[in-house]
Formats: sequence, structure tokens, C-alpha cells
Amino acid sequence: QVSVLYFAKSAELAGLRCESLSVPRHITSLQLWEEIVKAHPRLAVIRDQVVFAVRQEYVPLGNQLVVLQSGDEVAIIPPISGG
Amino acid sequence: MDESEDVPKDFIKLKSEKLSVDEVSELVVSPYCGAVSLFIGTTRNNFEGKKVIHLEYEAYTSMAETEIKKICRDARQKWPSVKHIAVHHRLGVVPITEASVIIAVSSPHRAESLEAVTYCINTLKASVPIWKKEIYEDEYSWKENKECFWANSEK
Repeated sequence: QVSVLYFAKSAELAGLRCESLSVPRHITSLQLWEEIVKAHPRLAVIRDQVVFAVRQEYVPLGNQLVVLQSGDEVAIIPPISGG
Repeated sequence: MDESEDVPKDFIKLKSEKLSVDEVSELVVSPYCGAVSLFIGTTRNNFEGKKVIHLEYEAYTSMAETEIKKICRDARQKWPSVKHIAVHHRLGVVPITEASVIIAVSSPHRAESLEAVTYCINTLKASVPIWKKEIYEDEYSWKENKECFWANSEK
């Protein structure tokens, strides 16, 4: 069970900012994205513009294997615009 | 005069209240430093012919603070004589001409603090999870920094 955090455009598309999600402990970042899109299909349009932050480290969507622990924060990070 | 050792410090703050240039520059002033360099990012009133009413910022706060700390650490590695670094970023609504970000760096001589300030703002725009929404008269737009490596740059 991880906490998924939504920001900016991804929060608008998903309609929420935070939720719990049950996912396998070992999963690729792309598979993780696909799990999230199952729950929120409107997110599909931003697939090519987001990365994840898993335990506050950036992870691109791809074949990267991530190892998740219960309570980990996984954030969806649309293109940033600070400063 | 000051009893503390004047150990190099990072001052990082994300807040919704109006930012103060005086406050941020005073944080980095040091008797050992002859230079304080400042960058202020202010909100513009137009984008591609559209009138901007105001900006709204949001952040992944805990990670943003961690990323800014990393930027400070890296700046000190590149410019070891840098003394204090302050980064204040505003969140929420920022009216036109008000500051969204202020960065101040002190160093004994001016070259290092000028270069370090430039490095800090450029790297902030590439790596810190903060988002800006531009509000126009009849629509809005989530901005994307060109420094962001996962944004689509072709449009």
C-alpha cells in the first residue's frame, strides 16, 4: 500500500491530490503508471510528460524496476515550472 | 561582535505570504563577506499576447525543500568560498510584479556569489517540484520550464 500524490495538471485530471494504492512490491515504473491510469483514465493524456518521484527521487516512466514498501510516497510529477 | 562562528548556513523557505528582499538579503549578510548577490523572480503581466491576471504556485513541499538543499550543497561544492545561501519561494496566488522567488548568496568576493546565484535559479527551474499556473482573463495554463527534461519541448 503506497500513497500516491497528485500535483498540478495531474491533480486536475485525477480529481484528487492523494490516495492509497495497493501495488506489488516489485514493479516497473511503467507498470506502476498503468495501475494508476486504470483508476484514473483521464491521466492517460499526460503520459509522455510526467515522471514519478518515488521516496522523493525522480524516476522516469519505463522499464526501471522500483522496489516499494508499505507507506512509501509515490508522486506524479508533471513538467515543473518553479522560479 | 557576534558570538557564533558564522558557520555557512542555508535558509530555505516556501511560504504563501509576500516575500521580502530585505529579509532574504539580511539572512545571508556576514562580516566575512564583501558581496551579497540577489536574484528576484517577478510575475509578468503578459504571455504570448494574453493578459496575465495573476500566477498560482503549488509545490510538493517536502521534496522541494530537499531538492533546494541539494542545490545549495552543490553550489558550495562548485564555489567553496560561498558563505550563506537563502532561497525563498512563494506559494499560492502571486499578483503581477510581486516576487515569486528570491535567492541571495554571500561570499567574500563578488564573482562566486554572482555565479552561485545564477546556478541556483537555473537548477531550481530544472529540478525543484514546484508548479506555476498562469491565470488569463478567460482561461489558465500550467507552465512548463524549458529546463525541465521531461516536458515536451516541441510545442
